[in-house]
Amino acid sequence: MKALCATLTLATLAAAGPAPASELLAVRAGTIHTAEDGIVLRGEPVMIISNGEILQIDNDLDIPLGAEVIDFGPDSVIIPGLVAADTGLATGSASARTASPSLRALDNFDFYAEFPTFLAGGITSAYVAPASDRLIAGQGAVVKLAGEEAASRVLASPAAVHAAVSVEARSTRAFWEPPAPATVDVGMGAPRQQLPKSTMGAVVALEEIVEIGRSGEDTEVYGEGVARSMGSLLEARVPWRVTARDEDELRAMIALRERTNLPIFLHGADEAANLVSELKSAGVKVLFDANFTPNRIGRDRGKSRDSHWPDFSTPAALVAAGVPVSISSRSLGSNLLFAAALASRGGLDPEQALWAITLGPAEAYRIDDRVGSLSVGKDADFAVLNGDPLDAGTSVVATWVDGASAWSRDQGEGQAMGMGATVLEVEELHLGDGRVLSPGQILMRDGRIAEVGSAVGRPGGARVIRGFAAMPGMIDAMGHLGLEGARKTPSTDFALGRIVGPGDSVDRRVARAGVTTVALTPRGANKSGSPVTAYKPAARDHDRQVIGDPVALHVSWEDKNAYEVGQDVRALLEKAVAYRNDWEEYEKKLAEWKPEPAEDEAEEEEKDEDAEESEKDDDSKKKKKSKKDEDDEPEVITPTGLWEGEVVRPPATRPSALRMRLLETDGQIEGYVRCAALSEELVELEGYLDEKLVSVTGLGTQGYIHIEAELDEDTLEGSLFAGSDELELKLERTNADYPVARRSEPKPPEPEAKAPRGKPKEPKLDAKLEPLRRALDGEGVVVVDVEREDHIRECVAAFREVGIRPVLLGARKLHLVLDEVRDDIAGVLPGPVIVASESSRGMKQRNRYAELQAAGVRVAFNSLAEEGAVDLPLMAAYAVSQGMSPSGALRALTSDAAALLGIDERVGVLEPGRDADVLLLDGSPLDVRSAVQRVWVNGREVKP
Amino acid sequence: MKAAMSLKRVLSCSLALVGIVGSATAADKLVVEAGRIITVQGPEIVDGVIVIEDGRITAIGPASEVEKPWDAPVVGGPEFTAFPGFIEAKTSRGLDRANESVDVAPFLDVRDSLDPINFFFEDCLRWGMTTINVQQGEDCVIAGRGRVVKPHGDTVEEMTVRPSFGLVLSASPKRGKSRATQSQALRQAFVELREHLEQLVQEKRDGDDRARREALYQGRDLEGERAKGRAMSSTAWKVDGLELVPRGEVDEKQEPLLDLVEGRVAAFFHCSQPMDVHRALEIARDNGFLARTTLVLGPACWKAADVVAEAGVPAVLSGDLTHTERDPVTGDEIETFVPTVYEEAGVRFALSSENSSTRSLWYQAALAVGGGVPRETAIEAVTRVPAEILGLGDRVGALAEGMDGNVVILTGDPLSSTTWVDTVVLEGEAVYRRDEDVRNRHLLEGIAQPGTQPSQGSSDFRSEDEPDVEPTMADPEEGGDEETPSDETPSDETSTEEEEDTQQ
Repeated sequence: MKALCATLTLATLAAAGPAPASELLAVRAGTIHTAEDGIVLRGEPVMIISNGEILQIDNDLDIPLGAEVIDFGPDSVIIPGLVAADTGLATGSASARTASPSLRALDNFDFYAEFPTFLAGGITSAYVAPASDRLIAGQGAVVKLAGEEAASRVLASPAAVHAAVSVEARSTRAFWEPPAPATVDVGMGAPRQQLPKSTMGAVVALEEIVEIGRSGEDTEVYGEGVARSMGSLLEARVPWRVTARDEDELRAMIALRERTNLPIFLHGADEAANLVSELKSAGVKVLFDANFTPNRIGRDRGKSRDSHWPDFSTPAALVAAGVPVSISSRSLGSNLLFAAALASRGGLDPEQALWAITLGPAEAYRIDDRVGSLSVGKDADFAVLNGDPLDAGTSVVATWVDGASAWSRDQGEGQAMGMGATVLEVEELHLGDGRVLSPGQILMRDGRIAEVGSAVGRPGGARVIRGFAAMPGMIDAMGHLGLEGARKTPSTDFALGRIVGPGDSVDRRVARAGVTTVALTPRGANKSGSPVTAYKPAARDHDRQVIGDPVALHVSWEDKNAYEVGQDVRALLEKAVAYRNDWEEYEKKLAEWKPEPAEDEAEEEEKDEDAEESEKDDDSKKKKKSKKDEDDEPEVITPTGLWEGEVVRPPATRPSALRMRLLETDGQIEGYVRCAALSEELVELEGYLDEKLVSVTGLGTQGYIHIEAELDEDTLEGSLFAGSDELELKLERTNADYPVARRSEPKPPEPEAKAPRGKPKEPKLDAKLEPLRRALDGEGVVVVDVEREDHIRECVAAFREVGIRPVLLGARKLHLVLDEVRDDIAGVLPGPVIVASESSRGMKQRNRYAELQAAGVRVAFNSLAEEGAVDLPLMAAYAVSQGMSPSGALRALTSDAAALLGIDERVGVLEPGRDADVLLLDGSPLDVRSAVQRVWVNGREVKP
Repeated sequence: MKAAMSLKRVLSCSLALVGIVGSATAADKLVVEAGRIITVQGPEIVDGVIVIEDGRITAIGPASEVEKPWDAPVVGGPEFTAFPGFIEAKTSRGLDRANESVDVAPFLDVRDSLDPINFFFEDCLRWGMTTINVQQGEDCVIAGRGRVVKPHGDTVEEMTVRPSFGLVLSASPKRGKSRATQSQALRQAFVELREHLEQLVQEKRDGDDRARREALYQGRDLEGERAKGRAMSSTAWKVDGLELVPRGEVDEKQEPLLDLVEGRVAAFFHCSQPMDVHRALEIARDNGFLARTTLVLGPACWKAADVVAEAGVPAVLSGDLTHTERDPVTGDEIETFVPTVYEEAGVRFALSSENSSTRSLWYQAALAVGGGVPRETAIEAVTRVPAEILGLGDRVGALAEGMDGNVVILTGDPLSSTTWVDTVVLEGEAVYRRDEDVRNRHLLEGIAQPGTQPSQGSSDFRSEDEPDVEPTMADPEEGGDEETPSDETPSDETSTEEEEDTQQ
């Protein structure tokens, strides 16, 4: 009938064209396991579904016009909806009788309930047991775990006579029914013992009950109503699902089946491996119970010879002999795939194991006309996995019943189980330091790399992404992205982290090209050096956006005035050495100093206080001064700052908060606004200041936002236009600074309140010299702009004198003096010029990167540009095309760059604990033709 | 045995209840005057008159059109609203015990457990409930027959409107059972009935008169109709040859079920979960009593509203009108107002006072209106629909000529929280007057200290007729109360609270 329907639909489809196609659904996946004869369709097969039934399933199917297409992607695997062959979803209290064939499990099954855990395990159909612990507990049923109509969700009822001869059936209590009414004539009666008490008793009782069913006459022993219900069950040839575990129980049931010709199949079957030939010759099906209870403490299996220890090799042994085996597991519940994997570990072929939890039980319960496999005419019940069905790391992504989604991981279950974890599975995993894992996997979690290896753990619900290659995010070792065009050079102790904002569209574009970290330095160098800050332009979380602030000091050896060349740096080094010496001396003194007895403290205190006060005065003066520097023109009203207020956007009646930050420079305004009612995301604003009128515009997720408002001291009043709405706007300035990412300013140590007598006095802290002091101590990095060979020689010598190994920036003529300075430099940032041609000596071309790296000098690519950082991968590719070692170029983009900047504890290498800045590529990163496909920064994917 | 005991208690206690029972008015004629008559089945009448003669309404209409018998006493007045009275479709209150321990006990009858002096019936008058179907509770598989009563009378027989009315069945499991064993027991009961009948027929054919001797031995009546055999008239299944068996010989324990299968008694099927609805309808359908089935539905059953509508059976909504559950996936709390779901599905439903929060029907109806049910539907759910469920659609639940003379005279709108039941007229007899309601009075005013006031006696009530002694109905916020001296304020506050609790 079903097949007929399908052909009819096909016929109409062919005849009437696209008319019914609107109801058609085409599901595509990377692989489909049909579970029928072990057929696995690979190469993105398609399944066409109509009215909840499979119309067609094959590779290379033409998708009918108008059909809704659902593509789970090339990495997805579809298997038939699993059939849980034994569940307690409808198990209630057992009957008082040893045999209660009229008890229907279906009566206890709640079609209104939801079964998210089972659906999350890929289970779409379940055999529901009526009760447990009885010889004949009742009639089991098979139901679907999702669907609209209760009637259509019943696959079979009765699906089986639920019987057991194992130990659990032997605890039936004696039966006693109170007489109503109890009179003088009708005694109270006495409880009557019920069989079985042994395997032998169980066999006797089963035979008697079958006899009652066949003869149609009830007996007092088994109670009223047995004959009628048993009779109809026998007549319908309903299968008997008998639980038998021990060898003798199994043997007795094989014999009973022979004698009575009952359609018995055996559940449990712990010791079936010993009876392979008997089972085979009797033609008995087996439903193996994978008996393992997870999440339970201290469960023993028994020490006697006949206690059941887990033996998962039984299914394999039976299958090898040709006995059909299905697998069920009440104890594992919804983890049926795991139960199958256990059997597979016991030697069962994976496709056989899949059969054992799909078509196998469907055949046993005679519902294989509707479920159990994916073939034409069957119900479209299937589970979508993110990997091979029996792989330990595989989890269910979605479950569909009757051609409709019944559960998907996005529904919330996955989140509870550790959503946010992402696993990349690639052919080549380039760790960045030259090592390559092939194949390799990487687990990202909570923004960091949790695990790297050829196979990594997969928290439940982890997103698995396959690709060809992965590598660490690239580093622009010296660039300007984030300055937003600023040309001024700030003071040495300025924390650049203050000016960088959360990733905007430019930052995201750069990141999607592969550059995830930038060493930011201002244009031009200060006399006392400029700060260098390493940060991730595309990161969205402030806290982890800035890696180091500063990570290095950038000084310039060169000078336009030939006399001055190197003078600033020399002076600076001199000062720094003196400063360092002051501190060293202080520390030495401090170490030697011992506090004197406390008597004279008071006296000393006063003196110290005076000293402190004067010091404080100094500080405050300095503060005032610096403040003045910052607010150059205090008279002019500027909208720069943080504005807060509320807007009401109809139809909403409640106001929603609005926060806007603006930065005004020369009448141009830029900034951001955040307001849930206007846009789900931060909106970038641009505009101008016309006297007191602020006019800014930005594109939010719900359309353009335009603000026109009048500025007055600390209020901003006017209108906000969002789509067709004009909203009243009144904002207040809560902060006059342009707020930027949180910075980690080095705080001068607080002077101790009560400095005891004789305690050595601390030298004054000079923030401008601090980076150099750290460099002198061998911790910080100094980047020096230097080009000419003689300058390089002098420069390196000057630094060698104070014990610093500088990183050279530019260093165009380095090759001429390389042998002299090689050991005294940390590395070179050769800059954007990769191939230098020297026309003076004929057309000789040198690949500077290749040359330096080959000479054993660490090099790193750098752009010296803002969004020009996007060219970094191309520069590397070009360098490779011009003879640089591909793996060397990769190092220069990642680990070497990180090492030169001293930020290799967080970025540059794929190692557990480092930031999850990862690039996924469609080819080897060493190949020019490979492109970056997807990018993660701090574990979050960067979307365009 | 129980009935005898109840009677004794009635006799010994009835003297204490003078206020409720009231003094007899002219039993054969009564005129009710009201500024507004809510007829329920027709338009409202302004300044109307209801004439009740011999317990039935003989005339109803505007005062200008209806001729009032000159000799009839008059109750009510232009300031009052006349209402047909609230009807309770199913309750297990007013019983000595709500349930039996025997699973299948259709042979029981609440007559033996009904307690005429139970406070419940007294309260019914205060709340304006005039017709009540008392049945056993839902903690059963099949429980005994119920009885439709009016809340007035010294004996069960006096109260009775309809004896041996409906059977109670339950699809939701009784303690110690699962839904499967409950359903099994339900089905088994009918299987056993069938087997019993088949056995009787077989014995009759074999010439065995064991059943007759058994019947005589138990003292059963075997004369008249009961001496005749009758072919089985069930629509679902039949037992051939049943006409051979005199009905008196059918086992007492099985006979009520036979009546059910033959469609002679109504069934009240309890369902607490939506899944129960399916099972109840299936069993009712398989045994031929679906047409006479009323579902008594718990709050969760709203999910099966479409199934109920499709079966075309009426429903009694018991328990809370709001159903709360938690989404198993998202963990969100979902709240559903149940009556609107049935209203939208097109189910005819009655509201029930059997509820955890309140025992009055007016409150349930008002709650339903508040939840979005049209006022008309809400009023029908406490009048006409239950009347029809009880098979009394032509007698109660509306005010019209020919119907029973049951009128509740209210001080305002029936669904308003400030309305009092002033007078209850049952079959032409004014059985309750608020100014004679001793308990109400004590509740509102407190009990006087012994000595300061004469002990309870009929003479007291006269003096209390004066309007200024009456508990004020004024809104406490209207100012008058606030100016009362501070030492009296506490008692005033309590009385205000009590008023709200005891209205109607």
